[in-house]
Amino acid sequence: MTRPPGGYAGKALIVDVTGPDATTLPLDEAVLRAYLGGVGLGAWLLHRLAEPRADPCSAQAPLVFVFSPLVGTPLTTSAKFAVVAKSPLTGMLNDALASSQFAISGKLTGHDAIVLTGRAAIPSVLLVDGGGARLVAAGDTWGRPAAETEEVLKRRLGRGWRIAAIGPAGERGVRYATISHDGRHAGRGGLGAVLGAKNIKAVAVRAATKIGPADPDGVLAAARDLRARSFGPATAKYRELGTLANLLAFNAISTLPTRNFTGATFVDAPKLAAEELHELRSATRSGCASCSIGCEHIYRGRNGQTARVEYENVFALGPMCGVSDPDDVLAASARCDELGLDTISAGGTIAWAMECAERGLLDAPWLRFGDGAALLRALGEIGSGEGLGALLAQGSRRAAAVVGGGSEEFAPHVKGMEMPGYEPRTLQGMALGLAVNARGADHNRSGAYEADLSGDYDRLAGGDAQVTAAVATEDRAAVMDSMILCKFLRGVFDEPYREWAELLRVVTGWDIDAAELRATARRIVLAKRMFNLREGWVPADDWLPGRLLSEPVRLGSGRDATLTPARLREMIDGYYAIRGLDHDGRPDGRALEDLMLMEGAPL
Amino acid sequence: MGHGTAGVVLAGGRSSRMGQPKAELEWHGSTLLRRTLGVLARSVDGPLLVVRAAGQPLPQLPAQVEIVEDPEQGLGPLQGIAAGLAALAGRAQAAFVCSTDLPFLHPAFVRRVLSALTDEFDVVLPVARGYPQPLAAAYRVTLAPLITDLIAAGDRRPAFLFRHEHCRTLRIDDAALLEDPVLAAADPALESVVNVNSPADYRAARCQPAPQVTVQRYGALAGNGHRGPQTVRAATLSAAATAVGLTLDRHVIAALNGDQISRDGDVPLTTGDTVAFLSADAGG
Repeated sequence: MTRPPGGYAGKALIVDVTGPDATTLPLDEAVLRAYLGGVGLGAWLLHRLAEPRADPCSAQAPLVFVFSPLVGTPLTTSAKFAVVAKSPLTGMLNDALASSQFAISGKLTGHDAIVLTGRAAIPSVLLVDGGGARLVAAGDTWGRPAAETEEVLKRRLGRGWRIAAIGPAGERGVRYATISHDGRHAGRGGLGAVLGAKNIKAVAVRAATKIGPADPDGVLAAARDLRARSFGPATAKYRELGTLANLLAFNAISTLPTRNFTGATFVDAPKLAAEELHELRSATRSGCASCSIGCEHIYRGRNGQTARVEYENVFALGPMCGVSDPDDVLAASARCDELGLDTISAGGTIAWAMECAERGLLDAPWLRFGDGAALLRALGEIGSGEGLGALLAQGSRRAAAVVGGGSEEFAPHVKGMEMPGYEPRTLQGMALGLAVNARGADHNRSGAYEADLSGDYDRLAGGDAQVTAAVATEDRAAVMDSMILCKFLRGVFDEPYREWAELLRVVTGWDIDAAELRATARRIVLAKRMFNLREGWVPADDWLPGRLLSEPVRLGSGRDATLTPARLREMIDGYYAIRGLDHDGRPDGRALEDLMLMEGAPL
Repeated sequence: MGHGTAGVVLAGGRSSRMGQPKAELEWHGSTLLRRTLGVLARSVDGPLLVVRAAGQPLPQLPAQVEIVEDPEQGLGPLQGIAAGLAALAGRAQAAFVCSTDLPFLHPAFVRRVLSALTDEFDVVLPVARGYPQPLAAAYRVTLAPLITDLIAAGDRRPAFLFRHEHCRTLRIDDAALLEDPVLAAADPALESVVNVNSPADYRAARCQPAPQVTVQRYGALAGNGHRGPQTVRAATLSAAATAVGLTLDRHVIAALNGDQISRDGDVPLTTGDTVAFLSADAGG
């Protein structure tokens, strides 16, 4: 094999943990250039390595840790990795990002990706370093929170090991269990359950080699420039209050989903606001490795317990469940961390269950909106599998199918993934983004809300501008999640594709330009859709919950906002047209040739 | 049928007593026409129209505003009303029609009048502050042919329409208007119908302070002691922004009463409004 491009190892490690047996998969430069890394390369690997329609928690289903060309460079926010697998929550392609030293050490094992297949005979930890791949017994870490597991393994394994682990939820197969590293979660879609199904408690990596960029001086100059720009107004929100700054703002603009999407404002929002918590409970601020933003805001709860707080976990465990006591919300957030639960899916599923209980569809009189103790009890049951836990561990879509009684209409999900804290009826561009995204209801793979919040368009009416924004932000996410750069940086780029191409040029040595990168974005988005098609996607999957299309939501002004099925359909048709898809959301054969997925394509 | 309600502003007319075009008169940082259109935009869910004389220059208007030319001048306000309603055929059921010279027009007044236009009526005519207000009234769009016939017959005064056997007119007086608690709180003196016909009227209107509004900065904009609501006097979004040390730009947007989001500094404010200023990069 020829020397790989700068920033790449040029190969993936495939570990069948049943043995374990490890093989090396050379990665052709054409594939790397076409998919970059992160979620893009992960999607391609999943296409090539996953058996179609396999159960995501079956032994043969692969789970991929993917790094990127930028990892390990001094470029700010580049220390990120993607975890990619078929989701047990959605049954479709799922990619989730996490950050920090695991990304750097994982890549410096000498691989652009580490793929796990098979199932270990006993609960185990997979170790990967210069000596290859091997298993050790998970021993006393089984049943422990991910953070504790990391600590135990660090002490046991010694210096240099970086660990990504699952909590009890992943071990028990909760369909929205996370994989965690250093307190940050590859959170959405239940990847922790996929790892747990392989009897793997953790993956530990240790750097063994060097992977340099093509133009070290160019990278250094770019890193200095990007770092300086990262201190500007475009990232002020993340530095000063973190994403929780959204809470009061979203409440003020009637886009804070409340009590399972029965409202868009929350009267007690000020109690949970970043401004309030920052003043009274701020413990410290932190950031990922190689990051100059430092967006993490850690707050102290009632018992001195600390929790990393983001908008999404406060939304999902607070207003979505009607809970207004900050101590309850911080405790619930910490509990999700301990168990290894995606807070958005946990909060969404519990909010759905609260509504079911209040309507008499679930025999759980203790479970009521606004009851923080009930929220904590429900989380505990999800973690233990007791009481309602087994039902709620399935996520709101599957649970609603069991409970019935019309609860399917208000199960807050798209493709099975619970909805983030963006009210689609008052952010109608985002309504489209949530409906069509390959991962399901997700705010990190589509940023269509940016058009809604720009002030340039009518956020209550949807339309062509929002369709264009949905496509553009999805493309942008595809590139940033594949290079990988944190999307909190997105506002610092004036000409993003040109500037990203320049970053890739100095790292890889490729003569790459904005046009090529735009094509790359479209390819990655299409590859995800193609994977879903292969796994059984149908047009009805690109849709929103019935409640959002049949019930208006009251704005702070007193007006009602309505999203009609016809308007959503119109936007989806517009999206399909721009993407070159037919009326049913399917691509034509010519588009597929570009994906390098056909027989005989480079492997 | 398209949307339910539309807004029509009659900007033609000679403005003979004023001595200059009323549409371009300034009031607290905005033209009267821009202000009136902005108030209507907040009150209706359908098209916004300006009816002008052929070739009449107008101040800069928002992109979504349609301009309709009055085919014949000098025929009085009914002609403008007919032109506006005709242009809305098939696109709205009813329109609030007003003149351009209402600096104190409040969205609550517009909504109150439109809400009274039930199936039993074709016109809702406020009789406010002692006078009928045909240029601050609600009209069913299907009246356009009848009005055209009246004008052709020489019946050019609005009163001919209101008493016509095929026009079911609901007259609502001050007390009836103020039964709406929102309007009663926002405009208890019904100054919404106070117009400016002469230079003296205009001078008096300009002496009135800008509306009192509540402004709050959010997120990264709320640092350095800028938390919590503030009460300021401001007639436009940009004036409100300036009052709290902000400028609407790439990084700063405003939401009015938890409703539409804008970075258009000319959006008019009215008494009782709440303005939220937030970072344009809101979101995760």
